[in-house]
Amino acid sequence: MAISTDLPVSGFISPATTDEALATLQELGSSATVLAGGTDIMVQLQAGQIQPETLLYIGNLDDLRGIDRKEKTVGIGSLVTHHQLATDAELSARLPALAEACSTIGGWQTQEVGTLGGNVCNASPAADTIAPLLVADASITLASTGGTRSMPLAEFVLGRRSTAARPEELLTRLDISPCDAGTGEVYLKVAPRTAMEVAVVGLAVRISMTDGLVSDARIAAVAVAAVPFRSAAAEHALIGSRLEPEAVEEASRLLAAEAEPIDDARASASYRRMVLPRLLGRAVDIAKSRALEE
Amino acid sequence: MTALGAAAPRRDADPKVRGTATYGVDVSLPGMIHGAILRSPVARGRIRRIDTSKAEAMPGVWAVITASDAPSHRTGLKIRDERVFAADLIAYEGEPIAAVAAQSREFARRAVAAIEVDIEEEQPVVDMDLALTDDAPLVHPEWESYEPVGDDFPRGGNVCAEMSSDPGGVEEAFAAADHVIEDEYRSQRQYQAYLEPKGVVAVYAGGRYTVHIAHQYPFRVRDRLAEALGISSSDVRVVGHHIGGGFGAKLDVSLEPYAALLARATGRPVKIVNERSEDLITCQCREDAVFRVRSAVSSDGRILGREIDVLINAGAAGTDGPYLASIAFILAGAPYRVGPTRVRCRSVYTNTAPTGAYRGVSGTHVIFALERHTDHIARTLDIDRREFRLKNLITDGDALLNGQELPDAGIFAKAFDAVEERAPWAERAREPYTGVGIAATVWLTNSQPGSVILKLNEDGGLGVITGATENGSGAVAMGVTQIAAEELRISPDQVVVSMPDTDTSPYDAGSQGSRTTHVVGRAVGKAATELRQKIYEIAATMLEAAVEDLELVDGGVTVKGSPGTKLTLAEIAAQATARGESLAATGTHATPQPKFDPTCASGLLFPTFPTPTYHVHLAEVRVDPVTGNVEVLRYVVAQEVGTVVNPLGVEGQVQGGVAQGLGYALWENLTIGEDGRYRQRNLESYRLPLATDVPRVETIILEHPDEGGPFGAKGVAEPPIVPVAAAIANAVSDAVGAPIDAIPITPQAVLEALGRSGR
Amino acid sequence: MQLTLNVNGRMRTLDASPAATLLDVLRDELGLIGTKEGCVEGECGACTVLVDGRPVDSCIFAAHAVGSREVTTIEGVGAVDATPLQQAMVEAGAVQCGFCTPGFVMTLTALLDENPSPDEATIRRSIAGNICRCTGYSQIVDAVLQLSGGDR
Repeated sequence: MAISTDLPVSGFISPATTDEALATLQELGSSATVLAGGTDIMVQLQAGQIQPETLLYIGNLDDLRGIDRKEKTVGIGSLVTHHQLATDAELSARLPALAEACSTIGGWQTQEVGTLGGNVCNASPAADTIAPLLVADASITLASTGGTRSMPLAEFVLGRRSTAARPEELLTRLDISPCDAGTGEVYLKVAPRTAMEVAVVGLAVRISMTDGLVSDARIAAVAVAAVPFRSAAAEHALIGSRLEPEAVEEASRLLAAEAEPIDDARASASYRRMVLPRLLGRAVDIAKSRALEE
Repeated sequence: MTALGAAAPRRDADPKVRGTATYGVDVSLPGMIHGAILRSPVARGRIRRIDTSKAEAMPGVWAVITASDAPSHRTGLKIRDERVFAADLIAYEGEPIAAVAAQSREFARRAVAAIEVDIEEEQPVVDMDLALTDDAPLVHPEWESYEPVGDDFPRGGNVCAEMSSDPGGVEEAFAAADHVIEDEYRSQRQYQAYLEPKGVVAVYAGGRYTVHIAHQYPFRVRDRLAEALGISSSDVRVVGHHIGGGFGAKLDVSLEPYAALLARATGRPVKIVNERSEDLITCQCREDAVFRVRSAVSSDGRILGREIDVLINAGAAGTDGPYLASIAFILAGAPYRVGPTRVRCRSVYTNTAPTGAYRGVSGTHVIFALERHTDHIARTLDIDRREFRLKNLITDGDALLNGQELPDAGIFAKAFDAVEERAPWAERAREPYTGVGIAATVWLTNSQPGSVILKLNEDGGLGVITGATENGSGAVAMGVTQIAAEELRISPDQVVVSMPDTDTSPYDAGSQGSRTTHVVGRAVGKAATELRQKIYEIAATMLEAAVEDLELVDGGVTVKGSPGTKLTLAEIAAQATARGESLAATGTHATPQPKFDPTCASGLLFPTFPTPTYHVHLAEVRVDPVTGNVEVLRYVVAQEVGTVVNPLGVEGQVQGGVAQGLGYALWENLTIGEDGRYRQRNLESYRLPLATDVPRVETIILEHPDEGGPFGAKGVAEPPIVPVAAAIANAVSDAVGAPIDAIPITPQAVLEALGRSGR
Repeated sequence: MQLTLNVNGRMRTLDASPAATLLDVLRDELGLIGTKEGCVEGECGACTVLVDGRPVDSCIFAAHAVGSREVTTIEGVGAVDATPLQQAMVEAGAVQCGFCTPGFVMTLTALLDENPSPDEATIRRSIAGNICRCTGYSQIVDAVLQLSGGDR
């Protein structure tokens, strides 16, 4: 029932080019709140959780909406929407976990305006896109008036609503390795209903099979720790195996041990602990069958 | 052509589908300003200081009012325990402390935030069992000074109301039992979650208040607002607008006193609209309950006797709790024969937001408990769960525990048969992690009075002037409309039903208890009988025929057997006007109270179920052993309705009611913390069923025309929600191989149950 | 701050605070009350409008972000004659209290624009962001299926 007494937002700026946007960010620094699709920022603003001084709308920056498709890597502009990623046939084939994750965010209205960059920068511990991005070895690019810099996604996401971006920087692009032949992946989201949910547990698994053996395994979880993470220990338990039940059980045990779920408004820690290990088993089955599909 | 049973488009469909319908929240008057309410952030405490000076000094603020600007006497539906503003003791989170009028909603909310209130917090009374212990703090320390409305009833301390019945023979039954089966069931609160938040626009002019509102019961608003302000009902006018859902939450006053007081203080129309979280907390949602039951059972499958003890949570105000305390007792006598049954139900005060009416009042948790218990008995006796029910079904002439005879209870057996034909039961080995459940209930058609005026318009169309409200169910836009059309043998699109206005509409008891089509339809029938007579009398002189030789056919009057002699209704109306005669008539109806035994219980404020209807539901579910999610594979409803007035309307009530029931069973988890505050506070955390969550309901409609109903129609809208949680819980319990004793059935509860059963 | 919007084919100029939402502007400044406020959290979809033909929740869409894009509200759908979708909804019993109806009309109009024959699963997925508390959704789905001849 609390109502905010803070001052209302005093400015709304809509730069027409990325250079303009960066110049404005340089000038305003942390007094500017970057606004893209608004599905996080506007909700938080309406709820009184944030009190921006100036809204910097970057939706007109068309050069951030591109998808750069190469054989070994896909470059996705930070303003590409969840709907675009969910419905792009080529990306659904090469990055199925990311496409699946995007299709589970909110509903159609959310996906139409919500952006990949926004989901990453909001950095919810339960962010659906972050798990598939982690198993895809994503790196992000930040731009400022001083130039650009890149880093692995895992170094960029620090905690809830907290990233390594400096106030004057804008996330412009994410570079991701797609699945090649013999590699399959999946994103599984656990939530009470079938849509409009924040993940209670989210799990992305990517498996590469060569001659019946696992040559590579990547496992990333969201909503079961303060920060989305990849479980190296669980991955190593699968690599070199044939995904025998014992290997999968061991990986599940290791994944669960690394998770630090909490009780929150959505679910209890004990529920998350019950779900996570069995969910890995289900994800591995699906990733394996997709890997063998070709 | 007949209007009855036709899938006629509802008369309000066009404005709704085009977006031109004006709802309560859409009302805008010239010069209107906006109000907002300061509500207590804590569940219990004492106000030590209020300082409104900063708020009053803010630009754009017109007025700030507190307890000292409002009457301090208490009002209520049955127990006068509510006051307009808290002055000293705070009894629940959300209790109004002050209100502001300002030039915009934004300004009003900022001003509310600028009011300084010091509250000395106290430990709230939250748990009902704890509230009933001897040393529990009193939620209402001054309860003894509270006046009842009408006759007093059993109550005291934190017991807001108590209903009890002890017929004798219960101990003997337990002594003779082969098995004693004992259970405790818990159910959570449910938010009605109508899409249109509550809102009101109040005007004060010429010594009278006019209130514009979307409300299910305008006459109650008139009377309760007048009572709250200490004025006469005639000084209040309530004007109804399209309602964006209510489901029981829009049956009582809420924002009206504040808007009215601010309108008087400022001389301007004042609009107040709830924010969604404010609406959720103050809606007066369905109560949470604890249901304890033990049954004395014989090995051959009879229920020899039973003892039931129910706690229903009133929250911090009784509202309709004293009436709801009767529901468990009434439902306990159906649909299965039980021997002597001792029932006690207490409505308990706690320092939580007051609860109130929601579709299928109390029935949803009572039937959940009784039907889960029935499954438990069947399993204990190793009798098929459906067979056990059929064996004990009541039939024509059997009586409820209150002595009320159900002359047509044999419909239960027909409903079970109908479901069986559609979805054969057969407890066979099924796919792993799937289960089936069945549940049945009787429900009522509320009997409270309604009056209508019918007037024949000059073009031969029919005006229906009524205080009845269209809450969305179609009871007015379809039910009353089509009944009126049928009575006059005209097309439904020639019928215009007025919006309610307490200055000009005759009294109606509101859209509650599934009553509108039935009661208002009968009133229409009575008025139509008189109106037809007047029409015939005029036509008789015009046609030079005898009244008894005339009949209404297709928008006109003819001499029986001579279709060529037809006069249109327009011609007759013109003639009436020329003669200075009015073609209007009034009809009033209230369903007679069924006979019952008035000595059967004490505190039985809701004594009977008039015009009962009969219902059987079947659910098939699959549980996910990894996540605990429940998928509803199939849902079948056999519903008895008397007569179908509009099949689209009936279908809509079943699909919609079941969807609400599924939410109640699986996703809508409204819980209260130790601090007495709701944990779920918006539509992100309070999970409503979505289009991808709910299955298609398979609906079987049974028609048994009721001689007391308009063309035989009975109440339709509530029953579809009542047995859903029971059917689902029985199905989930079957799927997991372990009892399910609480709703909503969370994924965690499913996984834990699977863990217990080892599946 | 001044703002110019293209709403239902007309250019409108008005004043709106920097953080004003498209919903605020439509209802309070332009008097277009057909678009409803149900939650102001982007959960219920009662505020759905089309921006360049795409469905969005106007309650969390910044008014100043619209720019030159075309906004279509319920008032712009079937303004003279009801559209086939609107008629189908009436005939299928898909309208009860009607508060959610404008939002559903907007979302379904966009769906039928890109997919004239959606099947039941596709329809349900497309309206997952529109809450209806009255109908239980089946008759809304029926309306689209009747119109499009798609499969259950």
